[in-house]
Amino acid sequence: MTQHLPILSIISLFIGAFIVALIKEKNEMLRNTIVLIATFLSFVFTIMMYRPIILEGNILTYWMGNWEPIKDWAIGIGLEVDQLSLFFGLFISLSIVLSALYSFRYIERETGKDKYYVLFLMMSASVMGFIFTGDLFNMYVMIEIMTFASVALTAFRNDRPEAVEAGFKYIAIGSIGSSLILLATVIIYAQFHTLNLAQLAGELYNNYTAITIFALALMIVGYAVKVFAVPTHFVAPDAYMVAPSSISMLFSGIVNKAAVYGILRIIYVVYQSMNLSSMQFLLVFWGTVTMFIGVTMALAQHDFKRLLAFHSISQIGYVLTGIGLTTALGITGGLYHALNHTLFKGLLFLCAGAVFYATGTTDLDKLGGLAKRMPQTTLIFLIGAFSISGIPPFNGFVSKWIIYQASYEAGYAPVTIIALIVSVMTLASFIKVAQSAFFGQLPKEFKNVEEVPLSMRIPMWIMAILCIVGGIVPSTVTKYLITPAANAVMNSAKYVEVMMGKEFASKFYSNLGSAPVIDYKLAGYWQPIAWLILFGILLLAFTLVAVLGGFNPKKFSYADEEDAKYDVFFSGESAEFSHVGGSDLFWGLKYQFRHYFDFMHKIHSGLVNDYALSVVLTAAVILLYVFTFVR
Amino acid sequence: MTKIFILSSLSLVFVGLYGVLTRKNIVKILIALNIIETGINMLLVAFGYVEGGITPILQSDLSIANLDKMVDPVPQALVLTSIVIGLGTTAFALSLAMRYKDTHNSISIRATDEEGVNV
Repeated sequence: MTQHLPILSIISLFIGAFIVALIKEKNEMLRNTIVLIATFLSFVFTIMMYRPIILEGNILTYWMGNWEPIKDWAIGIGLEVDQLSLFFGLFISLSIVLSALYSFRYIERETGKDKYYVLFLMMSASVMGFIFTGDLFNMYVMIEIMTFASVALTAFRNDRPEAVEAGFKYIAIGSIGSSLILLATVIIYAQFHTLNLAQLAGELYNNYTAITIFALALMIVGYAVKVFAVPTHFVAPDAYMVAPSSISMLFSGIVNKAAVYGILRIIYVVYQSMNLSSMQFLLVFWGTVTMFIGVTMALAQHDFKRLLAFHSISQIGYVLTGIGLTTALGITGGLYHALNHTLFKGLLFLCAGAVFYATGTTDLDKLGGLAKRMPQTTLIFLIGAFSISGIPPFNGFVSKWIIYQASYEAGYAPVTIIALIVSVMTLASFIKVAQSAFFGQLPKEFKNVEEVPLSMRIPMWIMAILCIVGGIVPSTVTKYLITPAANAVMNSAKYVEVMMGKEFASKFYSNLGSAPVIDYKLAGYWQPIAWLILFGILLLAFTLVAVLGGFNPKKFSYADEEDAKYDVFFSGESAEFSHVGGSDLFWGLKYQFRHYFDFMHKIHSGLVNDYALSVVLTAAVILLYVFTFVR
Repeated sequence: MTKIFILSSLSLVFVGLYGVLTRKNIVKILIALNIIETGINMLLVAFGYVEGGITPILQSDLSIANLDKMVDPVPQALVLTSIVIGLGTTAFALSLAMRYKDTHNSISIRATDEEGVNV
């Protein structure tokens, strides 16, 4: 039974998709039950792999159709689940279940729900398949299904012009990314005549020729397009904004994570190229740029979901930086942050969805004062916002702290400083959201909004509780989840050995199966419980003030008057009536850095040509870099 | 022979990229994306090509004796998968384009004079 678990966890979702396609619109109850069963089964099968793989340290392999390798040559398609795959698989399948649960009420007013669920299950299944596969071409197929389903779901509300437009942009950029991955796959196949990851890992061990380097560069860029690392990120905000929130959550929670997994698998296991300082620098630099540009763009947004999308890009920057550091601490921080990002960003997208469900808009300029009408959503939002900003005792603090520490120890002190600044800016922009959506004055048209239904609150609460758990018991989470995965990342010989046999692996690796021992101390995290109590008191005070109306800014009708807010010194009548709107909380900062923001607004032009050009330019730069420095 | 295949397929990739970067008509962009895909598929087939090769089916003693001369069958299987994926993507993208026409009343990504944009 155990050896069939990987394929079962993939196939249950695919079968669910086909059954849902057969049912169509006929029976809504039956359809929802099947969606729930399929996602839940997949989750259970993934959980069942926890004991043999993470606790006992085995690696599961499964040859499709029992085509086992003959004479060290892989013929069939293999699935291989090691600790890294399972770590990703666990939180991905969990977020699939939660998103399905949330969807039932969230999209009840839409038409074409059967298609929604078919695509939803296809996307989930392809991500699971991508995580568990041990075959390079299969990775391409799965990521293509994933892109395809994501595009269709982006354009799901196709009566809205911006949804269709975002779908088109996503398909154009996504296809270019997939084409790069396919091209790299083809080149690698032509060189080694195999597609099995383990066999390739053996063949590529210390084997840097012009051809393999070319393929490496294309692979990195291809997956970077799927991760939405910075010069290729333009399509992400457009897509995240218009997709239904349950899908935006999956975009940042599983689609992005799958691509992060792809990068990890390719550079750590297949190429084993992270011992080169040039590759380390590339990832750390790229991650740092990504986190900085993501967060500065987020400061300038006035749509709830678009702002979250830019934060998603920024947080992925942390993950890339963490895994780029290659120290045990760095990888641990990166993986921990990947897990945390799925939790808190999923939570925040669900909050945005709840606001949309209740009020019908996510425009921060129109919202306000929802705390009185939707207290639970507000509380959940605050938990998510504090987690993403890295405030103790929430999970974001732990992973960010590990990344600060790791980057400082690895000698990247400027990166530590930038990461800290980015964290502060993240908090700043969430204060803005809290101020303009949940506190402040309640607009008249939202006088009668109600809290979202229970089935939407349950997934939110589960994620909120997990956010707190991840912050209070970081050492347990690290010990039982992150460290095994980090071990698997650093020890690629074992992956090869289990898949292709000891004789094959010993041809390439001198020391087999000796996992490096990771020991580190999580400094700076003394008393989580004390922090929690402190936070509770602060939150209570905050809520009290908000409920009593302390944050209500005076509304005035002089908005059209000449604005004095950009003057260095201002006072008197004009300053009295200078209108600082909810989304305009950081006007001073924006004004001081207006050249930077003008430039950024210009390059986010919304044209497919420009977006494609940025992908091509990235590819060119990475090719040049890799050919110059990777030896 | 293989070199010609490789060069022509890579040039197809670049032609496609040029199209994606310069065209404003979304149908033309989709065609350009298709050209990129075709180029890569052709590359895949070219890599499996053996000059004067025989079909990769074990049917007689002669074919077993000439295993080296067999054409590699794997790329052809892969290219079929790739073509099917491309077909799905294109069909969906074209339906998006129709939808785009309905909502934007144009098939241009920006108001231009390019020919064929105003339908």
